[in-house]
Amino acid sequence: MLWSLTLITAIAGGLLGYTYQLTEEPIARASKASREKAIQQVIPTYDNSPLDEQMTYTVHNEYGETTATIYPAKLGGKLAGAAVECSNNTGYGGEIRIIVGFEADGTIKDYQVLKHQETPGLGAKMGDWFRTDKNNQSIIGKSPEECNFHVTKDSGDIDAITAATITSRAFLAAVRTAYAAYTESLKGGNHE
Amino acid sequence: MNKTKILLNGLIKENPTFVLLLGMCPTLGTTTSAMGGLGMGLSTLFVLICSNVVISMVKSIIPDKVRIPAFIVIIATFVTILQLCMQAYLPELYATLGLFIPLIVVNCILLGRAEAFAAKHTPGESFFDGLGIGLGFTVALTLLGCVREFLGTGHIFGRPIYPEEYGSLIFILAPGAFIVLGFLIAIIHSIKTR
Amino acid sequence: MELTVSPAPHIHGRLSASQCMYSVIIALLPAFAVSLYFFGVGALIVTLTSILSCVVVEYLIQKFLLKVKPTIGDGSAILTGLLLGFNLPSNLPVWIVIIGSIAAIGITKMAFGGLGNNLFNPALVGRVFLLISFPTYMTQWPVPSASRWSYTDAETGATLLSKLKEEGSQWVSQVNISDLWIGNQGGSLGEVGAIALLIGFAFLLYRRIISWHIPVSILATVFVFSFALGLGEELSAQASGAWQHAFDFALIQLLSGGLLLGAIYMATDYVTSPMTSRGMIIYGIGIGILTVVIRQWGGYPEGVSFAILIMNAFTPLINNYVKPKRFGRA
Repeated sequence: MLWSLTLITAIAGGLLGYTYQLTEEPIARASKASREKAIQQVIPTYDNSPLDEQMTYTVHNEYGETTATIYPAKLGGKLAGAAVECSNNTGYGGEIRIIVGFEADGTIKDYQVLKHQETPGLGAKMGDWFRTDKNNQSIIGKSPEECNFHVTKDSGDIDAITAATITSRAFLAAVRTAYAAYTESLKGGNHE
Repeated sequence: MNKTKILLNGLIKENPTFVLLLGMCPTLGTTTSAMGGLGMGLSTLFVLICSNVVISMVKSIIPDKVRIPAFIVIIATFVTILQLCMQAYLPELYATLGLFIPLIVVNCILLGRAEAFAAKHTPGESFFDGLGIGLGFTVALTLLGCVREFLGTGHIFGRPIYPEEYGSLIFILAPGAFIVLGFLIAIIHSIKTR
Repeated sequence: MELTVSPAPHIHGRLSASQCMYSVIIALLPAFAVSLYFFGVGALIVTLTSILSCVVVEYLIQKFLLKVKPTIGDGSAILTGLLLGFNLPSNLPVWIVIIGSIAAIGITKMAFGGLGNNLFNPALVGRVFLLISFPTYMTQWPVPSASRWSYTDAETGATLLSKLKEEGSQWVSQVNISDLWIGNQGGSLGEVGAIALLIGFAFLLYRRIISWHIPVSILATVFVFSFALGLGEELSAQASGAWQHAFDFALIQLLSGGLLLGAIYMATDYVTSPMTSRGMIIYGIGIGILTVVIRQWGGYPEGVSFAILIMNAFTPLINNYVKPKRFGRA
């Protein structure tokens, strides 16, 4: 009994170890490629490798501590903007993780929702809603500097998703956190 | 035993989803789209064939007392191999199926076939049983996924059939899964008994 | 000859099933009038579409799918359609109303075996089906009496309950409670006029179509529970006039949303509610508690329909444990 179980687990272990070794590199490559794709989508112009120059910055605000990852985009050695990845936990379904591309002056270039559990058809529309140029929905081309990134219901300048105010609040909070991480890390001067 | 009979038995007479109602968790969880259902079905098919064949080969050296842990170890090994390969080579499918892949280990279809079939038959017969049951599962999940995706979003395999705003969201949520499954079972039962 | 096999007790009621159905329909007419006054042509279109499509769906399923003699004359499909329409906003597009009717009759009633066999209230399942399927359409409530000739383009606003949920109970003091009595509030087209709904209740009690047990136990539970919640909140804030405030809060909970419509006309559905008076009271208290819990802590501002459906599921259990008294002596 002992021998047969040992044999089976040993073979299983060996097989798994071998597969792991075989797939370790492709898995790392695949996850790097998907991150790179996300960065590429939100801040398209750079000639450095943002993934290798990434850094983390912790923002303190009303949502507590949020750690954001900043991928600086540089053109000819000069900072041209950054993709900032961060999350907010106050969504309808919990965590909303986004990546936002900022240009050098803080204007939003584009964004991507990386992870969420919002209601399909309502909150889940945030991936398109905030880029649609209709009324005051879009956040593209705006900067949290001059535009109030709160929903209009909270006397902000951005229209909430119809019937999904909670998601919209959490999404905009995540964008504000990303912006804070971007500007504050610049002020700190640790982006070089 | 006749190989075609074994195959058809799994596909139709003892279809794991529509007749035996086994493995309901992945059935309801992954069929929000036809692609998800197909991916889950094929993943289960792969693990089922491998585990069935291996278990029927080693059945004589496993003492009766520890056969369940041994079966689980074998199944879990194949599931992990599948998970690693999928993560490496099909990262997008892995992102949609995610959590449900490791859950194949506890899918009762696998342990059920190991106990009920593979432990009593030759590797060849077990292969065809795994193929039949696995295909039955795949067809059922794909069908369920197609109907839910069509009614919920107006797409089939991601191809738009009618505008998305006319889709009833309930069908891609959990309650819709139960409703569609119930109606599919009823339709298939009525065709079979006709 | 046709034999009917059914469990005891075999007592013949004064009224046939279809007479009951038509009495309930008559009882709903005052509320419909209120709805026509405040929501205008939209209320008419939605209600008529709902009734017509429920009857047609039932007819088609019985005629072509089940191949039995259609029983649409018994009034139950008309009543389901009327109640479904009453549970929808008056600016809902026709095609969504039709999908709701298919869910109500096709999924909830006919798939379970037709009248008398359904576990859940068909009209409520239709409403919840639409609420989950088309959340954007189902949460845009027309403003009452804004423009009686507009339909899908009607001006919309939030309901009282969603305002209460979002802005907190300090909002209570701004509510004009007399508006709630007459029906001048946003909401599903048939749920707004409290007085009209209560007139229908009186009529049903007078005709002995329903007993008081279910509606009264639901309403009392919601009132007491909300009053306690409002009072607790006010006392912890140590505001003056806490009792008055809590009373207003509880009254608003009673008069707004679908509570009256649900308690009087939907929870009392014969098929899906318990048979004994004790069972009815247990069922009613359950609905009341669930309603307040969903309204207060749930994801949706309104919880009456979910509460009734959940208690529908408990009805067989209640019937099993709360048995009617035996006639005669052992």
